[in-house]
Amino acid sequence: MEELLLRIKKAVMAGEEDEVKELLERGLGRGMEPRRLLEEGMMPAMEEIGRLFSQGEAFIPELLVAAYAMEAGLEVLKPYLGGEMRGRGLVVLGTVQGDIHSIGKNLVRMCLEGAGFEVVDIGEDVKKEKFVEAYKEFKPQIMGLSALLSSTMQNMQPVIQALREVDPEALVMVGGAPITQEFADQIGASGYAPNAFEAALKAKELVERRG
Amino acid sequence: MNGRERMLAAFALKEPDRVPVWEMAFNEESIIKLGRFFTEDLPPMKFAQQMTTEEKLKLVATLFTIVRELELDGITSIGLLGTEPVDKDHVKDGWGRILRISEEGEATAVGGPIAGPQDLKELKPYHPQESDLIMLMAAKGSFGDEIAQVVVQPGPFRESWTLLGSMEKLLFYYMKNSQFVKDLARVVTDYILEVVDMCADLGADIIAIDGDLAFSQTTLMSPAQYEEFVLPYHQEITAHAHARGLLIFKHSDGNMWPIMDGIVEAGFDGFHPVQPQCMDIGDFKNRYGNRLCILGNIDCTYLLPFGSEEEVEKSVKETIAVAAPGGGYVISSSNSIHPGCKPENYIAMVKAARKYGVYPIKIED
Repeated sequence: MEELLLRIKKAVMAGEEDEVKELLERGLGRGMEPRRLLEEGMMPAMEEIGRLFSQGEAFIPELLVAAYAMEAGLEVLKPYLGGEMRGRGLVVLGTVQGDIHSIGKNLVRMCLEGAGFEVVDIGEDVKKEKFVEAYKEFKPQIMGLSALLSSTMQNMQPVIQALREVDPEALVMVGGAPITQEFADQIGASGYAPNAFEAALKAKELVERRG
Repeated sequence: MNGRERMLAAFALKEPDRVPVWEMAFNEESIIKLGRFFTEDLPPMKFAQQMTTEEKLKLVATLFTIVRELELDGITSIGLLGTEPVDKDHVKDGWGRILRISEEGEATAVGGPIAGPQDLKELKPYHPQESDLIMLMAAKGSFGDEIAQVVVQPGPFRESWTLLGSMEKLLFYYMKNSQFVKDLARVVTDYILEVVDMCADLGADIIAIDGDLAFSQTTLMSPAQYEEFVLPYHQEITAHAHARGLLIFKHSDGNMWPIMDGIVEAGFDGFHPVQPQCMDIGDFKNRYGNRLCILGNIDCTYLLPFGSEEEVEKSVKETIAVAAPGGGYVISSSNSIHPGCKPENYIAMVKAARKYGVYPIKIED
């Protein structure tokens, strides 16, 4: 059992999608708990990639293939996990109005999924009203706003205000190249992280703190 | 010295009479906002792709007025590949790339003519037309050899990922199909070499190889991946530019430290913009100042959009004190003058560069 979990971890890290799927099927066939395969097989792989990334030993290509392998694995486990898919919680992500960049947001999505969150990606160039609608519809634990440009990051504060009018306790995280902790504090964001891995850690922290 | 001589001296890592002032890019909105300080004859506020030919000419004329009034030492032209409209937000270029027009700056590729390795054989390479370089021809006609003629050309990394319509896809193939990445780089490098030839024929002085290779934390690819997938093509392009008598520099936002040695090895003459949030200009000057001309570093993320004119002056003074002594520095913003930058602050930046940038640099603490 332990050896299989280790092999799953290695296969996710290497981005071997077919091998991940095969190993998961094997584990399920042996009666292993799907949640254990996820939490002790696949998720440690993403944590390890995150550690290597922060040490400058892994880069975005390594992250991407691991995240795709993780996604492929989740497809296998989904039918067995059912309502448990939300795991740590649900995050809705979008790039704010005027900004059509997607790679940063997509990396955050992958890292959040790797950390056990379910993510709804509402796309790029998202208007304030659409963020509010999505908040009402999906009732996420966290709303994530992305911006790449110093001009579009100005569109984050009105979104935060609108969300807080709907729910004064709404947890809103912000991120993107021009964002700093100081800016995030200034516009009343609940959390900020300088990269995708740390965003997933921050999201865990915010959800755990809320309990 | 004229502007061209000043820029060329900086690229030769020598001290000109004063620090050259140049800018990588302005866009429609910032040209019009800055233009208001110097002329009333302005085009309407809209994207170039939505302008009539007459309005586009007026936009270019306004940019020339700004360059002339502010006595900039160089002008940057971009390739204007013909596009055809797809719908109100999208256009298609000569390669078949679908570009989304953005309120906030350059059009961004959202769809490519190829989806993956299986389509590469069918890809019809686009060959540059002289009309793509109409801006360079106009700039050369207007300024001649008085100021440096810089042309921006996306590098092999950017040309490759935009043909796939997504950077993630290209970086995925770095891990999964290295031959495809190299075959695609070959196709786009051949195109870039043709563009370089055309720039040389039309009298350009300097080529700027565009396309970010990093973000605020680190590079998009590892140093080993840069060496395998980008460096050989960069070397080919810089060698070709030099053979045609051109200077060439690399532009990339973000923290480029992990691959800076590779940028030197690739044969570039300069590096822009040494983003102040992630690269210290003093460190950069110490480590690369004797091998690369430094361009940029005046913050356009917070300072130029939100700072005061006094803060801009202070930053220019401090940056010149660190980067300019000994030569090899061209002052500019840390990316471009985008719509968020206050035009007053840009003008303050140029004025401060003139005030503190006279050689020999004498700035007291």
